[in-house]
Amino acid sequence: MTATEIINRPSAAVGGAPIGSSALGLQLRRIAYAVAAIIVALAAWQIGVDSGVVNRAAVASPTDIARAAGPLITKNGFWSAVGATVRSWSEGLAISLLIAIPLGLLIGASDLFYKLTRFSIDFLRTIPAVALVPLALLLYGATDRMALVLIVFGSVWPMLLQSMYGVHQVDPIARDVARAYRFRRRERIFRLVLPSASPFIATGVRIAATMSLLLAVGAELFGGAPGIGNEITVQQQTGNIPVMFVYVVVSALLGLVVNLVLINVERRALKWHSAERSTSV
Amino acid sequence: MAFRRAIDFRLKTRLLTIFLELILPVGAVAAWWALSAGSTSVYFPPLSQIVTALRETWLFEHWSTDVFPSLENLALGFLVSCLVGIGLGVLLGLLPIVADAVAPVLEFLRAVPGVALLPAAILLLGIGAETRISLIVFGTMWPILLNTIDGVRAIDPMVRDVAESYQIRGLGWLRRIVLPAASPQIVAGMRTALSVGITVMVFSELSGTTNGIGFQILSAQRSFAVPQMWAGMILLGIIGYLLNIAFRGFEHVVLRWHRGMRQLARS
Repeated sequence: MTATEIINRPSAAVGGAPIGSSALGLQLRRIAYAVAAIIVALAAWQIGVDSGVVNRAAVASPTDIARAAGPLITKNGFWSAVGATVRSWSEGLAISLLIAIPLGLLIGASDLFYKLTRFSIDFLRTIPAVALVPLALLLYGATDRMALVLIVFGSVWPMLLQSMYGVHQVDPIARDVARAYRFRRRERIFRLVLPSASPFIATGVRIAATMSLLLAVGAELFGGAPGIGNEITVQQQTGNIPVMFVYVVVSALLGLVVNLVLINVERRALKWHSAERSTSV
Repeated sequence: MAFRRAIDFRLKTRLLTIFLELILPVGAVAAWWALSAGSTSVYFPPLSQIVTALRETWLFEHWSTDVFPSLENLALGFLVSCLVGIGLGVLLGLLPIVADAVAPVLEFLRAVPGVALLPAAILLLGIGAETRISLIVFGTMWPILLNTIDGVRAIDPMVRDVAESYQIRGLGWLRRIVLPAASPQIVAGMRTALSVGITVMVFSELSGTTNGIGFQILSAQRSFAVPQMWAGMILLGIIGYLLNIAFRGFEHVVLRWHRGMRQLARS
């Protein structure tokens, strides 16, 4: 079962204990427990469906899903659906990043801008991005453009807020040192402000990534934009529940992989900061 | 005298701040109103029409048929998530071996976009409110659960030792040591959960139902009642903002001690 292998990897990566011989043993035992837990969960799911406690017409069992997944992943349609979701999702995140970070740094650095925009940002950020679904549908129809607009609107705020916040958190002493050394603006941005703000920005990206996957799948599911969500609707309408569940599982794996990648990148890039992170975020 | 001048000064800066904060939103609304006044675009009707639609559609005609049911689902789902998430989270947080073992399963479940299960949920539970509430529970439970586990596990060992030596045990221990110590993280999880919850609430109303805010907005869009659609969107924005303010009030009360400690640590 390939899904099991993919799922159980995080426990190995997350532990992060120094690898000595006893630590290795501990690590192995931890992995064994995790695998056991996964097997128990899958078995419970299987038995629940087989015994009829959970209606088979609504929920596919793990073996059904595995059986459906085999032929499906050789098909082009599957990969183009996954590709469409990944594309609009990553494009949306990239656009948000390009908008949010410069703007956040600017607003965070100026007291006047901060005060001017605080209420507006606070208000806009609480507007659920789903509220825009009808408008986006009206303007763009069932296209990936529609999904993109939603994703950008949903993910720009957490990133913006976090980068504003990050600039505010620059250590006053470091700021004074930079002034004493007469850092130029460029240096100040790239060597003082961005590094100090980066842990906060990273958190913003992670929040945005999870939220925007939900938005991407939702936009596809209800707006009919091409992608995993749309396939879920199509498969449900044709009554092909196991295939539908393959797509559900794939969407979860996507979220899982992205979260893992982001956490790892964050950890590697911000190693110098890890001591502070645990207390400040 | 000096004291009074200080207060005067503080009042003035406070007023100035409020004034600065309001320039942009007031200006934006005014600009929207002015620029859209003569609008003939189908998609961007004059703001005055939208406001009329807002008053006619939502005040308060659809309040009991659409707004209340939506918010009721959200509240119930969120409540269930908090109870289950915090309860289970404390339990798992106190049993690190079990928590480690089930971590991959929980991470996987958290990664499932809640809305992806709507078709299955409709098949399984029908088109009643239960379907929507369960989806909201499914979407909001994981952040609360995982944050609670983290929060409980991160309790300072010294605090545990002190509690032990004062023989604080059982329920008192839970209520006075564990829950407060984990509360900053639990509240952070609840905040994430709330915004996910609102999103799932609206998405869940876009198919397989005939009422709710989401349904009303979508049907307005489908019948090209564009001002009504805009009105619904604005209503959702206002609801989101108010919920956020309410949550901030809750946070203020629950985490009062925590802010005090952080100020203490900073000074």
